[in-house]
Amino acid sequence: MNRRIVITGLGAVTPAGIGAPALAAAVREGRSAIGPITRFDASVHPSRIAGEVREFDPADGVRKDQSRYIKKMAKVMAVDIQLAVAGTNLAVLDSRLPLGDAKASEPVLPTIDHTRLGMIFGTSFIPTELDDLAGPVRASHVDGRFSLKGWGSHGIPQMFPLWLLKYLPNMHACHTGILWDAQGPSNSLTTSDAGGLLALDEAVRILRRGGADWMLAGGAESRINPVLVLRYCLVHRLSTANDRPAAACRPFDLDRTGQVSGEGAVVLLVEGADVAEKRGARVYAEVLGTGAGTTTAGINACDADGRAVATAARRAIAAAGIHPSDLGAVVAHGTAFAPQDKSEAAGLRAALGPAAGTVPVTAIKGVTGNMGAASGLAELAAAILLLCDGQVPPILNCARPDPEAGLALVVGKPAALKSKVVLVTSNAIGGQAAAAVVRLI
Amino acid sequence: MRRRVVITGMGSVTPLGLTVEETWQNLLAGKSGIRPNRIFDAETFPTTYAAQVPDFDIARYVKNPADYARCGRNVRFAAAAAKMAVQDAGLAAGGFDPVRTGIYLGSGEGTLDFFTLCESIAYGTGEDGKVSAAKFAEMGTQRYDGLRELEQEPNMAANHLAAEFGIAGPTYSCLTACAASTQAIGEAMDLLRTGELDVVMAGGTHSMIHPLGVTGFNLLTAIATEHKDEPWRASRPFDKNRTGFVLGEGSTIMILEPLERAKARGARIWAEMTGFGSSADAYRMTDIHPEGRGPAAAMRLALADAGVRPEEIDYISAHGTGTAENDKVETLSAKLVFGPHAYKAPMSSVKSTLGHLIAAAGATELMTCIMAIRDQILPPTMNLETPDPECDLDYVPNAARKAKVEVCLSNSFGFGGQNDSLVVRRFVP
Repeated sequence: MNRRIVITGLGAVTPAGIGAPALAAAVREGRSAIGPITRFDASVHPSRIAGEVREFDPADGVRKDQSRYIKKMAKVMAVDIQLAVAGTNLAVLDSRLPLGDAKASEPVLPTIDHTRLGMIFGTSFIPTELDDLAGPVRASHVDGRFSLKGWGSHGIPQMFPLWLLKYLPNMHACHTGILWDAQGPSNSLTTSDAGGLLALDEAVRILRRGGADWMLAGGAESRINPVLVLRYCLVHRLSTANDRPAAACRPFDLDRTGQVSGEGAVVLLVEGADVAEKRGARVYAEVLGTGAGTTTAGINACDADGRAVATAARRAIAAAGIHPSDLGAVVAHGTAFAPQDKSEAAGLRAALGPAAGTVPVTAIKGVTGNMGAASGLAELAAAILLLCDGQVPPILNCARPDPEAGLALVVGKPAALKSKVVLVTSNAIGGQAAAAVVRLI
Repeated sequence: MRRRVVITGMGSVTPLGLTVEETWQNLLAGKSGIRPNRIFDAETFPTTYAAQVPDFDIARYVKNPADYARCGRNVRFAAAAAKMAVQDAGLAAGGFDPVRTGIYLGSGEGTLDFFTLCESIAYGTGEDGKVSAAKFAEMGTQRYDGLRELEQEPNMAANHLAAEFGIAGPTYSCLTACAASTQAIGEAMDLLRTGELDVVMAGGTHSMIHPLGVTGFNLLTAIATEHKDEPWRASRPFDKNRTGFVLGEGSTIMILEPLERAKARGARIWAEMTGFGSSADAYRMTDIHPEGRGPAAAMRLALADAGVRPEEIDYISAHGTGTAENDKVETLSAKLVFGPHAYKAPMSSVKSTLGHLIAAAGATELMTCIMAIRDQILPPTMNLETPDPECDLDYVPNAARKAKVEVCLSNSFGFGGQNDSLVVRRFVP
């Protein structure tokens, strides 16, 4: 008998604002958070729009000792890591685990066994900020040219000593682990868009094998920097509908124009239902099953038949012990990059079978853009908060749904939620797909 | 009832060889893989040497070498190691259900296009010392190869392997620094124990021997800079005069299966995986907990998971990086876990000759445990010339040693506080 696993904390920092309710509200109101890139001068980049997280302070809302730590370390935390810290703080506070609050000046006495608190993040390779290298690169020039010999002798000494640690993809878990004294299992899954849901998948497995009592499962990434926007432009994934940012990201729409870069962090606290009940926790949802699959089509390709998404969804549905027709809704990845949308739709059709014609399918990236490793859990968090009122929100900017999708896409106005069992999927081009089935409480 | 999990295939490329056997024999002979850096010109870098994988022809290992034209060294290593592991396991195409087969790698980043990055930054840097992203993009658009940039992502090794071998089930890629591939194999074991999968290809791959990798570690003063003229002396785990680790690179990939499946197909069984423990220091960004709290927890959890008492461990494959702090704390934590038996359980560090393979270190060290069980011999810690009073255990100094080896513990501790330990034992039906 598998241990039952529930979600008892939600933390989200997204382009729609701080907190999961802000994301849910934007999705409900169909309010796009996508605008011109302000983070850097994108005037030469072919894609100049993004869903940016504005004015968040990772040191907000936590104990004074934690706030001091974050302020001191912020200079060695890339944006991805700062987002992860903020998202984790929100999730822990939301879960009401007795770990101290903002009013306390010092850590409270341990009230839980901290060796039983673990964390897993979906993260990605973080490119260096250009300014970090500007001085050292200039110092490395020999006879007017950048030179490796010059870098070794004059560049390296100008770098700041902790430069490497600002960008490592396991530093999200390192800092949040220190902040919340999480001494249990700690992992960092670098599986691009699938990272957040895979983190949940692994967190569930660890809880079921008794490896921890509480797991923080998160995803955090910023796709908004000069290096990544350029990269994804060069591989032709990004929208260049720069003149109409709010309408640029059009999941499953015939007039879709590509992905829009986004950023954010979404973190869940998950625990055994037995543990949650004992501490009287508020339960948002039960994780019935998770699943994953992979494309074999190549590193920059999508399966035409959507095999990866189909495998992930089938595994999650089977693990949940339900039938596709039991699903009340699907929250799809829906990046609005045509080959990826088509592949995902094919995969969902295959996994849902005859139910594909009736289960409402929605997507939220018209609001947020592609938050990378944070996106799967953003979809899950939005589903948890939004669907409780019995309504599946429409896909923002899906005005002319692609008839080839063959799915019951929610367009124009909300659809009725038929059951409280929801499937969430995400997939990375060329790689991993992940899915989760949850029952809303 | 959880299923027993065994290893039925191994493949490896390391600085000491392009096969498991070659690496193992060189380790036993105490040969060093550390040489002056020939991957890039590091003459003026604080560290001028590294443990580098010998050149090999990727076409010997993959179906279509053109698919690997833009990838990083890490992906090439993984492809070669995985091919050898699959052959070693006798796992022919069609011999596994693609969606019941998975991948779990500890994998690092690809090989950065350092010159394009720096030249585009130089082009974009203004009088104020700030970089104009627009000017950066002007040159970058002309110079960057988009696909090569994509190959930076650490999940690319797993993605290539999925395509190469037609593996369509769950695939994971983790990057918990130096602990990554130990963690990968531990979690892979759990995917099999629970019955979720039939076969997992698990291990690690990494090369940080690129300009920014060496730069980063030099800045942290984590890697050795001395012994420039005798680089094989630079990696000195547990020696009083140790000054840091030596960067290595490579990949080790293993095929893990449930025992029942391996038996049913008549597979040769290398060893049985019996224990996995995982913990976090949650202490400081740059320091290990001084009492060895995290490493000790990982070791204890692995022993408990395997159901073995500390006295049953015949050999510990140390993380043993050769940094002052790691070796001291690892020694302390071994004493915490093993008590008096710590002085009787030999604990060596193959990093003394192999270098530190970072995300590939754990899988490679597990491989050496399995070979130690096969041959009943322990690989040495080389360069252990001056004893350190704070490191007073039996580190198998300077020469391989015949020993009874049935059960081994393999440790990996990541920068950032992730600690993972595995227990592997001789397979007894």
